Amino acid sequence: MLQVPMTDESAQASSMCTDSAAAQNGGSPTELKEVREVSGEDENKELRELLLPDVRNLPLAPPSAVEVNFVAYFAPDFMKPGHDHYVYRHPNGLCVVGLAPTHVAFRDEGGVTGVDFNVGKSDRSAIKVTGKRKKNAQHFESNTMLCKVCTKSDSYVVRCCVKGSLLEVNERLIKQPNLLNSSADREGYIAIIMPRPADWLKVKATLLGLEEYKRLKEQG
Amino acid sequence: MLENSDGNLIDGQSSESEHLTNLAEPVICSMCLGILQFYHDNNGQLSVSKDGLNDLAASIAELVKQQGHQIDSFSLEVSVPSITLDNERVIMSYMNRKYGSQLFSQERSFSECICLKNALKSLITAPLEMLLGVKYGQGPLHIRLTYSESSKTIEKSVEREFDSTSKRRKTGNENGLETVELLNSGVGCITTGVGRTVVTDTSLNGLQHHQSSDFSKLLLEKVRRPCSFSFHCNRDPIYFGGRYLKFSRNVSQTCWMIDEERMGEASVEEIISSCILLMCRGDKYKFHAAGREDIDVRMLGSGRPFLVEIQNPRHIPSDVLVKDIEEKINSSRDKLVRVKNLKLVGSQGWTLMREGEAEKQKEYAALVWISRPLEDPDMLSISSVRDMCILQRTPIRVLHRRSPLDREKIIHWMKIERIADTSQYFILHLCTQAGTYIKEFVHGDLGRTHPSIGSILGCRAEILQLDVTDVKMDVF
Repeated sequence: MLQVPMTDESAQASSMCTDSAAAQNGGSPTELKEVREVSGEDENKELRELLLPDVRNLPLAPPSAVEVNFVAYFAPDFMKPGHDHYVYRHPNGLCVVGLAPTHVAFRDEGGVTGVDFNVGKSDRSAIKVTGKRKKNAQHFESNTMLCKVCTKSDSYVVRCCVKGSLLEVNERLIKQPNLLNSSADREGYIAIIMPRPADWLKVKATLLGLEEYKRLKEQG
Repeated sequence: MLENSDGNLIDGQSSESEHLTNLAEPVICSMCLGILQFYHDNNGQLSVSKDGLNDLAASIAELVKQQGHQIDSFSLEVSVPSITLDNERVIMSYMNRKYGSQLFSQERSFSECICLKNALKSLITAPLEMLLGVKYGQGPLHIRLTYSESSKTIEKSVEREFDSTSKRRKTGNENGLETVELLNSGVGCITTGVGRTVVTDTSLNGLQHHQSSDFSKLLLEKVRRPCSFSFHCNRDPIYFGGRYLKFSRNVSQTCWMIDEERMGEASVEEIISSCILLMCRGDKYKFHAAGREDIDVRMLGSGRPFLVEIQNPRHIPSDVLVKDIEEKINSSRDKLVRVKNLKLVGSQGWTLMREGEAEKQKEYAALVWISRPLEDPDMLSISSVRDMCILQRTPIRVLHRRSPLDREKIIHWMKIERIADTSQYFILHLCTQAGTYIKEFVHGDLGRTHPSIGSILGCRAEILQLDVTDVKMDVF
C-alpha cells in the first residue's frame, strides 16, 4: 500500500534520510533486505514524482466527462416549438438523448415534477436488452415517443430524435424526476439509442452543432 | 517376386539397385509411388540418385543446419497420399488370401508387417541421427516430410467394384481422379508398427473375385510420376515472462488498428515482442498480458505480468542474453515501455497467469477535480471506505460491444492525497476488485455507476488522468 504523506517537501526528504541511514548501519544478514528496501523506496519515490501533476498546467475547471467523450448535437423545436432535445454522440456510435437547457418544460414554475415512460404502445422502462448483439432492443423511428415529462401546469412528449435501437432508458427519472432540473445534460439524460451508421448520417444532417444551437437560441 | 522389408511386392525391381540409373525411365513402385525408392518429383523432373536415402537425409540435415536450430532431439512426422494406404490394404488382403493357409505365413503373419510411414521413418532415422548428432525422440525439433500425389501419378482412375455389403465413399476429386476409400469393406486387419490398428470386418466371401482383380489392376497400372515431396522443420515454441511498465499515454497495449490506421504511436506488444523475436530468430510471436489498461492510462509501480510466446525459435537465449534483451528494451530512446524480471519460462507460464487472474486486486492513482473545494470531512468519508460495493452498468464507452449488465464491484480502500496550491484537485489512491471501471467510478457515467466519487462527496467529480500503480499478482 502506497504511503500518502502530506505534500511537504521536508517531510519527504527526512523520511528518505532515515532509510538510507538504516541501510548503512545494517549488518551483513540484513544488508540485502535493507538494500532492497532502499531501492523499493527509490521506486516509490519515482512513482510519486510521476503521479504528481504540474500544478501550473491544471485548468481552473476542466472540461466535463460529457464534453470530453461526446460530440453534442441539438434538435431544436423537435416536432413542436420549444421542444429542444440534445443528442450526445459517442465515437462508438451510441447516442445519449435528453432535454436541452432551452426546453420549454424548464420554463414552467417548479420545473419538472414527473416522468412517465409508459407511452405509445409500451412501457419503455420495461424493456430488457441483453447480449452483445443487443437483441430484443426495440427499433424506433426518430419521432417515436420516449416518455412524457410533466410539470405542475403541463406535460411534454420527449421523442427519440434519432432512428435506431433503444438500448436503455434512464429509469432513475421515475423516482427522481428532479434530476432533470438539476442536471438534464448528465444524470438527467432520457435514453441511450444505437443508430445504424447510415441512419446516423441521415439524421446528423438535420441536427445543429453546439455553436449553431447557441446562436439560434440567442436570437430568441 | 521380390519382397521388401515391409512385405511390399515390387515387380522385379528393388530400390537403390544400380541398374535403375541406367534405365531411361526408372520404374516407379505402384504401391509406394516412389516413396521408399527415394524418387522425387521436382516440379515435373524425376529426381533419381544412386544413394537416395542418404541424399534425402543429407538435404534434411542441411536445412536444419542452415536454419541454425539449436536442438538436442528431433521427431519425424510423415504424411503420405491416402492412395498408398489403399494400396497397402489391397496387397495385404491379396497376400492373406493367397498365402494365408501356407506354412510360412503361419509363422509370420502378414499382418505384422510394418506400414509405409514407419518403414520410411525407420530407414531415415539412423542417417539423420548421425548427421545431426542428436537422438531421435519427441522433439523439440519436428521434421515433417510431406508426400503428395503429383498431377499424373496414376494413368487411369482406379475403379473398385464391390457388392452391396461394402460401403464406398468418394474422397473428392484430387487432380482429376476419384479416390475411393474403403469402409467396412471386409478387407482385413492391418497393424502398423506403433500398434495402431485399422480394424474392419473380415468377411472374405464374395469379395475374392473383386479383390484379385483389384490386385492385378494395381500391378498393371503404370505409375508415371512419383510423389512430389517437401520437408519442413519447426521447433517447439519458447516462452518469456516478465512485467512491463508503460510510461506513455499514447501507447496501446496491443497493436490497435481502425480502418488500416494505427491508434496511438506504438504498442507495448510490439515493442517488447519484436525485440525478443529478433534475438531468438523466431517466426512469429504471441503476446499475452494479465489484464490491460486503456491507451491513455499509464502502467506504473510493480508493472503488469505478461507472457510472450516465440514460435519456431532458432536460438534459445542464455540467462545473460535474456538480461541483454531486457536492457535493450529499457534503454530505447523513447522510454515508452520498461520491462522487469524478464526470463524464460516453461509452458506452465500460461497456467501461472490464469491462476492469479481471478483474485487480482489492482491499485490506481487518479487525478480528480471536484466542483467545490475539498474539505476535511471529505478526507474522512473517503478514507473510511472499506470493501464498499458499487453497482456499475456497462459503461457507455464500451456499451456498443459489451452486454448491457449491472456489475457489482468492490472498492477495497481509498485515500486522498492533497495537491499543494490547489483546492479542487487531488490525487485519489484506490484499490479495487479486478474489472472495476475506474473512470466511471469517478465521474459516475451519467449516474449509471453508483455510488461514485461524485455521489459520495455530493458534488460533480471529473477524472483527468489515471495510472495503474500496482497489479497484485504472484507471478513473474
